[in-house]
Amino acid sequence: MANAPQLVFGVIALFITFPLLGQAPSNIERRVAELEEKMRLIDPAFGKDTAARDLLVRIDQLERKLNGVLAAKEPAPAAAIAAITHLQVPQSAAPRQALSPGGPALQSVSITGDYQTSPDGETRLPVSGYMDFHVNKESGDSFRPDFHRFVLLFGHSFSNRIKFWSELELEHALVEGGERTGEVALEQAYLDFFLKPYFNLRAGMVLTPMGIVNERHEPPSFNGVERPFVETFIIPTTWRELGFGFTGDLGRGFRYRTYLISSLDARRFDAEGGISEGKASGFDASLRNPAKAGRLEFAGVRRLTLGTSFYSGHAGYNTPGINPGVNIFEFDGRYSVRRFDFRGLFANTWVSRAGELNRRVRQQTGVNPNTGSQMRGYYIEPAFHVFARRARNDLIVFTRYERYNTQQDMPAGYVALPQFDRSSWVTGLTFKPNADVAIKFDYNFNRNRSAVVSPLNGTNLGIGWWF
Amino acid sequence: MVVLMRYASTFFVIALAFGQDPASKPDRVVNILAERFTYNPSKITVRQGQLVEFVLTSDDTDHGFKIVAAGIDVAIPQQGMGEVRVRFVAEEKGTFPFECSRACGAGHHLMRGTLVVR
Repeated sequence: MANAPQLVFGVIALFITFPLLGQAPSNIERRVAELEEKMRLIDPAFGKDTAARDLLVRIDQLERKLNGVLAAKEPAPAAAIAAITHLQVPQSAAPRQALSPGGPALQSVSITGDYQTSPDGETRLPVSGYMDFHVNKESGDSFRPDFHRFVLLFGHSFSNRIKFWSELELEHALVEGGERTGEVALEQAYLDFFLKPYFNLRAGMVLTPMGIVNERHEPPSFNGVERPFVETFIIPTTWRELGFGFTGDLGRGFRYRTYLISSLDARRFDAEGGISEGKASGFDASLRNPAKAGRLEFAGVRRLTLGTSFYSGHAGYNTPGINPGVNIFEFDGRYSVRRFDFRGLFANTWVSRAGELNRRVRQQTGVNPNTGSQMRGYYIEPAFHVFARRARNDLIVFTRYERYNTQQDMPAGYVALPQFDRSSWVTGLTFKPNADVAIKFDYNFNRNRSAVVSPLNGTNLGIGWWF
Repeated sequence: MVVLMRYASTFFVIALAFGQDPASKPDRVVNILAERFTYNPSKITVRQGQLVEFVLTSDDTDHGFKIVAAGIDVAIPQQGMGEVRVRFVAEEKGTFPFECSRACGAGHHLMRGTLVVR
């Protein structure tokens, strides 16, 4: 015997379904089919694994799926149902600040598509990272495998306004005390204090905001097994320093980062690598004369990013009596249209008192570093996507021309050596079976202006992934 | 009784799908492209009371999309794996940040934007 609530429910159900029962079976079936179609907009996999023809079975499936969808949206089920049926939109409300308590300012209605929700509502910041495994070969040499980078990223949200982010790297697979092996390095570790969209604070170990690759160096995000030469010798990557500064979004696609950071160490500058070996990377760093670094980016047009960066500081904390100034100016751009990608970068570095610096370092170490007073480099890289942009797999054909000279200008009394006036054609393929996995191949044609010292060409194979 | 209840369920399911009034069609649809480490556009202005739909796609890896004020936190599928549509009603005026909630690379914390309700 059914109890009273069941009976009442049954009577109500009879009344409200009466019009339905009066419809022709084909009409009901059509409407159920339409419902199934709508459900597939929420979950494309719905109903594909069954071929139920029984109407009741199909209704059961719809009911179970609907219950599942509602359960997944448990925090605001009433809002979801109300929104689908009758939206009640308030016509007036006083302005108020975001994130303040006292009820939702934005009423979540629905989420559909190929998505995953965070069921517990927490910010999803698991350990992530990227890996870079290379096989390099120079002309006349054998293939040399190298697990170049093993990088883990960790983050934590103390609140919606205070967040931590870090990047810990192991290079070349092995670190052994006293031996010339790889390195373990802290690439980033900082706190962000989000105050306003246009003004936030950041403090800790930060990436110097310079160029394309330094802040955007996940293997699938650039072509070529190795990073561009210009972004190795003219702009050091990965360049990180201790410091603090400000970040923000100025609107209309403009955003900036500007920091006071530990300075470069001029004692490690040299002719071949320019200033690249001078980065302190947080170890034995100096804030006696903090350097200023900043970057302004425009990303207001879809698939176009333009950026310009500067660096200005003194680098003489390890060369007593000589405190050379280092200034860097850089601009870059990335643009994608249809199946084509373009990116390019220009950078120029000035080192003041380079002659005195060379003499002082020679006194200290016995070796004249022959550091130039100006260094310059640029590259351009067109690329073509063989598959459509919406395809799951991606095959990119690219070529990159680079020109870089770490002795663009020399101090009085010093002569530039032509082997440091270099250029390279890097051409190859990037295949991505998944957006986060890149299998790369490239060939480097390397040249310089010297009639005596010839650079070697190189073949590189690599696989890199992000997770 | 079981049959009746099943038909009642059918009615509710059908009512949910077909019972929409015109308001369920979004007043404003905004296509947002996510890539390391930007949303484009990153500043979106809507009017109070509008039913807004964000259509989110990625040009590279999976990204997150989180609006604290709306209780929304979803993953945007990686390139080539589809899109996610988020609907909400902009009930109150204000400035509401949104951010990437899924670790996406070295510049993850730069990936932020602002929704302005006027």
